[in-house]
Amino acid sequence: MRAAWRFAIGFVVAVALTSAGTAAGYHTQFVANNCNWAAPTPIATYTRDASITVALYARHEGYQWGGGCWDDDDRDDSPGDPPAVGGTGGEGGDCSGFTFKVWRETNDEDSTAFHQWWRLRFIHGPYTAARYQAAEGAANYPLSKSAAIKMDAFASGGHIGMIYAPNADGTDQIIEAKGEAYGTNIWTRSYRGNADYSGVRRLGWSQP
Amino acid sequence: MERRHTIPRRTLALLAGALAGVAAAIPTTAAVAHVLAPDISEPLLEATHLPALITDPSEPVDLAYDVYCATDESEASAPCDANGTVYVRAGDAGAFEALALRRDPAAPGLRLTARVPAGIAASRAGFSYYAAISSEASGRSVTLPAGGSGAPQKSLPLARDAAVELGRQAFGPGREADARVAEASWGSGPDAVGLEQGRNLGPIGGSSFDVDESGVVTVLDEANRRLLRWRPGARSPEHVPLSIRGTLADLSVGTDGTLYVLETAADVGRAAQLRAFGADGVAHDVVDLAERGSAVRVGPDGPVVLRQPSGQWMPAILDGRPLGASEQSRAGRTGRPVAGGREIVVLRTGAYEVRAALLGANGTQRTWRVTSDTALAEVQLAEPYREGLVLVVRAYTEDAAEFVVLVLGHKGLVGRFSLDANDWAETAPVSRFRLAGSSLYQLGSTPDGIFVDRFDLEVQ
Repeated sequence: MRAAWRFAIGFVVAVALTSAGTAAGYHTQFVANNCNWAAPTPIATYTRDASITVALYARHEGYQWGGGCWDDDDRDDSPGDPPAVGGTGGEGGDCSGFTFKVWRETNDEDSTAFHQWWRLRFIHGPYTAARYQAAEGAANYPLSKSAAIKMDAFASGGHIGMIYAPNADGTDQIIEAKGEAYGTNIWTRSYRGNADYSGVRRLGWSQP
Repeated sequence: MERRHTIPRRTLALLAGALAGVAAAIPTTAAVAHVLAPDISEPLLEATHLPALITDPSEPVDLAYDVYCATDESEASAPCDANGTVYVRAGDAGAFEALALRRDPAAPGLRLTARVPAGIAASRAGFSYYAAISSEASGRSVTLPAGGSGAPQKSLPLARDAAVELGRQAFGPGREADARVAEASWGSGPDAVGLEQGRNLGPIGGSSFDVDESGVVTVLDEANRRLLRWRPGARSPEHVPLSIRGTLADLSVGTDGTLYVLETAADVGRAAQLRAFGADGVAHDVVDLAERGSAVRVGPDGPVVLRQPSGQWMPAILDGRPLGASEQSRAGRTGRPVAGGREIVVLRTGAYEVRAALLGANGTQRTWRVTSDTALAEVQLAEPYREGLVLVVRAYTEDAAEFVVLVLGHKGLVGRFSLDANDWAETAPVSRFRLAGSSLYQLGSTPDGIFVDRFDLEVQ
């Protein structure tokens, strides 16, 4: 009888410790468990509206510094990753990786072509927010902020977000991967008039 | 004599249990993890609309709705099948006239539009309207604003005699403050304001503030999950811990000292939340908002939140009672309610024009049309002042920005000055200014910390 009790205690403790360890590891292994490195699909046409749809399906999917892979269950499956640690393999894009994927850019900086990267394809792309601000890469073009419309972006040295819709008070609804504590979503921002931000346009929309 | 190393039977039982536990736990947690990450695409239907809040009765009015629908992300480039109807009426009473929304062939993507009949658009009482849009493919529908016929959007006629031309903005040192009434360095100490931490996250901190009639300044130190309160003449602030998320949030303080914090980053399944605290930081209420919120202000009947995509101010707590989602929507207003039964409406239209209106119980009291040769961004503040308004709007170029303060009277511009942007750290989108009595307050920030400056309007 005592042996049975000891077996039961050992079993319960082991289940608890193993589950806790696996759960802790799970927070940083979304990419390893879910994402792929499949080749992108070149597409001939892509509109601003289609890119909004792609962005809307990424809402609520979390944020990961250096990341670029997410599913579509409307939650961050790796919440609480330490914001100061990169490469934890969690769910979500960062601001520039999200923009790259939503704008369907390519790894070839000389190309303006559209590449469809499926949401579970892990890709960040070659551009940081600062590089977007400088409009580096053939697909990115500097734009007067006053002329920016939906799915143009405002980029600073540390962040980039795309216009979803204008508000009556002159602010903009921005769709962006904001940070670990925020995830990816639409928020009202005042980036347009902020001198730290520049306008950037993705070239080649099928309908201007 | 050889000594045999044996494992006691009781230890063996424990080890056997542990091994069995590990073996059982691994596949179980793996399965749970898999279940936690389902990849389920749901149909979506979203619509955005820049409301025609203040219109020129002599010009045609087109109402436009950008619509996005899909059954899966892989269908992103497929045409959206949505259609809808906009319901319009002159003034804000009587029956609505149904207008079928038509596709704009010149627009990129699906833009549904309808022209308001001239007789309704030119009504001296303005017009009110709402739209119902649906998609057969997605099975979804959306009403804008969310309150539909019970709380339609209101469009006000622009009066022609209140034009204000700003010309070209001369960027330069802005007006100096009459007093610096609060100041704190960045950090987590007792006299400091926190910066949110994170990679690829620009500086965010001291995300909102408020000032009462007696000059008490309250700064929301969201990163340190507290607020700092400076009483007039005090060198150091009081600290009030708050149970908040620690992310960008707006703040408004009621006349009874109640603190209202609008949190725009919310948990899964929530768009935004309004939290009410006593002056001592004790939590009173948490109200879920059915739409995104961008600003909270305390009106005569309680806190109101500016919501998107409805584009209306909606109450969240009325007479101390938290409102449900449908109650909030049904009470949506185009204007922000202020004292005396009045409302304020602002509209930036195009890059170089801002319109503002002050409404009374009997309709529009005054309207202003502000034009500029320099691009205008957001309206940071619009508050009643004397017989008119104080309006603070940001003027900007590609690499410069400052705030333009306009004192508007019934005949137009009464006073004007400019202020340095002082916007090193990000705040809630329209939380950089407050008006208390005849003083304007600015929440500014530099790499060293935050400050609140006072500008007395009577001096100018």
